[in-house]
Amino acid sequence: MHAANPIRPVAIEARGLVKRYGDRRVVDGFSAEVGRGQIFGLLGPNAAGKTTVIRMLCGIIERDGGEVLIDGADIDRARKRIGYVAQRFGQYEELTIWENLRFYAEMYGVRDRQRLRTLLQRYGLQAYAAKPAAILSGGFQRRLALACALAHDPEVLFLDEPTAGIDPVTRKLLWDEFYQLSASGKTLFVTTHYMEEAQRCQQLAFIEQGRTIAAGTPDTIRRSLGDVAVYTVRLGFDPAVHAALQAEPAVLLVNQFGGELRIVVSRDFPGARLAGIIGDIRGEPVEPASAELNLEDVFIGLTQNGDSGR
Amino acid sequence: MIAAIVKKELLQLRRDPRLLGLIVVMPVLLLLLFGIALKLEPKSVAMAYLDEDQSIFSNLIKTGIWSDGYFQLYEVESREDIVAEIRAGRARAGMYIPGDFSALLTENRQPHVEFFVDGTMPSLTTAMKYNSSAATDDSVTNDMYFLPEDADNVVIADEPFILDTIILFNPDEIETWYFLPGIVGVLVMQIALILTGISIVREREKHTLEQLLVTPVSKTTFVIGKLLPYVFIALLDFYFILGVGWAVFDLPQPSSQLMLLLLAVLYVAAMIALGLLISLLSQTQQQAMFVAIFIMIPSILLSGLIFPLEAIPASVRPICYAIPLTYFVEIIRSLLIKQTLFVDLLRDYAALAAFTLVITAAAIARFRKTL
Repeated sequence: MHAANPIRPVAIEARGLVKRYGDRRVVDGFSAEVGRGQIFGLLGPNAAGKTTVIRMLCGIIERDGGEVLIDGADIDRARKRIGYVAQRFGQYEELTIWENLRFYAEMYGVRDRQRLRTLLQRYGLQAYAAKPAAILSGGFQRRLALACALAHDPEVLFLDEPTAGIDPVTRKLLWDEFYQLSASGKTLFVTTHYMEEAQRCQQLAFIEQGRTIAAGTPDTIRRSLGDVAVYTVRLGFDPAVHAALQAEPAVLLVNQFGGELRIVVSRDFPGARLAGIIGDIRGEPVEPASAELNLEDVFIGLTQNGDSGR
Repeated sequence: MIAAIVKKELLQLRRDPRLLGLIVVMPVLLLLLFGIALKLEPKSVAMAYLDEDQSIFSNLIKTGIWSDGYFQLYEVESREDIVAEIRAGRARAGMYIPGDFSALLTENRQPHVEFFVDGTMPSLTTAMKYNSSAATDDSVTNDMYFLPEDADNVVIADEPFILDTIILFNPDEIETWYFLPGIVGVLVMQIALILTGISIVREREKHTLEQLLVTPVSKTTFVIGKLLPYVFIALLDFYFILGVGWAVFDLPQPSSQLMLLLLAVLYVAAMIALGLLISLLSQTQQQAMFVAIFIMIPSILLSGLIFPLEAIPASVRPICYAIPLTYFVEIIRSLLIKQTLFVDLLRDYAALAAFTLVITAAAIARFRKTL
């Protein structure tokens, strides 16, 4: 009944997912539609419920409500079509790289050794094939996990914070790979709290305390703070300035970056007034410069609006 | 600095309430249990009894034995039955008074009374031999002296009758024969409980379980696949340890190899299922280890392995019968030392099989919930 739409094929469909632990709803009505070949980013602060969402999507934990369809089929009947890379390294440390890869392939009935060797090569693991997985560094652990998740050539890939704690070079390599996979028609569902990564996704959802508070393209998300303006001021950290600005209801966000202060305000709040407040405290005139709103501003702004904010 | 480390360790312990519970509650429970259970005064030892004389004199012996309260007497049909009852494990001792007892007694010809004891458990054998003295007590023999008419020419023996003690099975009272077969059960238990006890919880702790749950492999396949190697290892270990017993300590061969294999399979299955249940109920490997060890201690002490079940008060006996090792010990000793036949061990085999089924069912119920 949920046959794939030939015009706009949907690879992942989640409807009204709910997960309760006791009275607490850690996920409260998560819905998403991810088109084939797209990269979908799930954003949110720590403990927002990202991992719970991804675990429900993969069918690892039971849902207390809602529906998950992979290519129109219920997740329990679509397990062969998905691959999953958990946040924490979940391969066997005592087994070698090759043994791990073969084990996961066999879990899916894949015995094509050539394919596995190609995967090893693709992720630069062939040199370590006979070494136990325990010796791998964080970056290579991710590569192995990714290779294992791809062993059975799934159509949909779920990646839970795939680049957390990874150096920028490896992170870029991984993202290049994600784009390759996406270009080859695979659908990727990624959780992250790196804004630079969110920027790379075609579709985003922002969740906070289990609830979706913004969804759409990176541009839609950027507009979700409402009508705002961003100013930067060349100024070192001054607690008095921070306190004074945060006391203003129209000031949404005050963020210090080294010698630069970044302030997000409602559109109707004049820049001159900002200069006045800061100038009074510093005893010298300041010149706020206009800046572009970025996803990080939105991320912090949205998070602060929630209960877990300041 | 050392104080800070000590404090941190204690804090960590406090954050694991289950482990703390195990550390505090289990020893108290075990101590209370052992305090009550380990009296080491065998009482109500079953004795198969046959009095073919049925005279007031032979009755004196019965009264003497009975009054002591140490032996629980029950009548059997023939002298052969006495041996059969002991072989089957229904009796630990037996007494046979021949039909010509009173006739010989009145003629001062010192009849023989046979006292049979099971030699499988040397400590119990010693105690039974000691307690058989109730049969030759003065209160019994006082009225058994007969003065013939030509009393002057007759020498009257010190004892009116002779009690022959016959030690059945293990007549040399070899202690290793008593302990070794049961020890095999303890070692197999240790291997099975600890290996399987850790198995699932380890995958959970190392986060490998999560990766597996995504695959199309069913939970049942996963658990069976995980347990099979341990079943083989435990079975191999069973024969390996027993083989050492045969080679080094000259343990006897069993009455039936097939029955020995059946015992090994049932017992290993019970232990693996128990290990699985532990693994499913534990949150950490540490907890699993603790539970495994806390199960092993009472198993060793209350299974009849070291102290005969007869030495354990009747109120605690049900606990003994809830321990699989109890049946293992009884069966393997019977097979090896007493050469008991299968029919006589049916009850013990059935109990072991029932235990395996119950534990497996509990593990399955639990595993549907947690995995």
